[in-house]
Amino acid sequence: MSEKMKLILSDTNLNIKPQNDTTFIDLSSLKITNCVGCFGCWTKTPGKCVIRDDAVKVYPLIAKSDRVMYISRTKYGGYDTVMKTMLERAIPIQKAFIRLVNGETHHVQRDVLPKSATIIAYGEISDEEKEIFKDLILRNAYNMNFTDYNIIFTSEEMLEETVRGEVLKWEK
Amino acid sequence: MGKVMILNGSPRAPKSNSKIYSDIFRKYCKLDTEYFNISKTNHIELCKKIGEFSDVLVVFPLYADSLPVTLLNFLKNLELNPPEKKPVISLLVNCGFIEYQQNDIAVKMMEQFCKKNEYKMGSVLKIGSGEAILTTFFNVLVKMKIRRLAYSVANKKYKTFTLTMPLSKRSFIKASTKYWDNYGKNNGVTHEEMDTMNIES
Repeated sequence: MSEKMKLILSDTNLNIKPQNDTTFIDLSSLKITNCVGCFGCWTKTPGKCVIRDDAVKVYPLIAKSDRVMYISRTKYGGYDTVMKTMLERAIPIQKAFIRLVNGETHHVQRDVLPKSATIIAYGEISDEEKEIFKDLILRNAYNMNFTDYNIIFTSEEMLEETVRGEVLKWEK
Repeated sequence: MGKVMILNGSPRAPKSNSKIYSDIFRKYCKLDTEYFNISKTNHIELCKKIGEFSDVLVVFPLYADSLPVTLLNFLKNLELNPPEKKPVISLLVNCGFIEYQQNDIAVKMMEQFCKKNEYKMGSVLKIGSGEAILTTFFNVLVKMKIRRLAYSVANKKYKTFTLTMPLSKRSFIKASTKYWDNYGKNNGVTHEEMDTMNIES
């Protein structure tokens, strides 16, 4: 694995200027179709998605990052479409094979750095939806190799300011 | 007499395990059933039809710990195009892990959808080891459980059911490795090739 990096994946364009070791990706500007569940990335071309769109540029960066920030609108207590589509397309960084993590069965990771995650969920989110989202990120932590994570709920109006504040914390 | 609409929310709907689960449900349900794949292009057509049914059974796999995008996008469209008469929504959700509880987030998200849009939630069947169970002799357990699910929907005695392979986790991991090795073998790919650490290289 080459040098570590920091990655910000956002479902919307934001006016932020992260430092050089941080890559910002506005997923809404990319062409990413949904996973078709073919298992090709596990059983035909292991580690590579058979759909050759912009997602194939993103999931290697997820694997290489030791800090990630995922910024997403939520829907029914989960990620909304743009972020969820990318996360589903990131399964080539896992293997088909199963292992035990904290006593639960999960997929084995390929060359994926353990990572510290900041998840910024925005929009109008009810208390019930917040609880579901927290449970979801706990599950993601097992499946996406998070060593630790922080969830921040914010409004659409406060999003840019919230992200700037979190990026500043990374830079300290 | 009610009528059940079965919606397959798997991205690989025609070739999916969700299709097989749906077929088993249709076999055992004493009500009339109609089956539909959710595709990218038929959301409006399905939204128009949904009001004709007393019950809907949504059958889908767990994707990245929650609802697959195929289903999520349909639900968002259904929210914008609601039927006048709302059916009861039941679920059959499966994940590849042995713990059927890993489906809980997806079920809670569906409950949120129902709550927001004033649909009544019906029965739920959560299946663990759902990728491989149909290819083992445990598929008899699948049939028994789906039969009970179908009975509960047809008789409006809505309940939550669960199912997984009755194996220890260690045995499950061994069995799943064999399952995936065979899957690769059918594509001419070895265990070692599938086990690569490389990503896009």
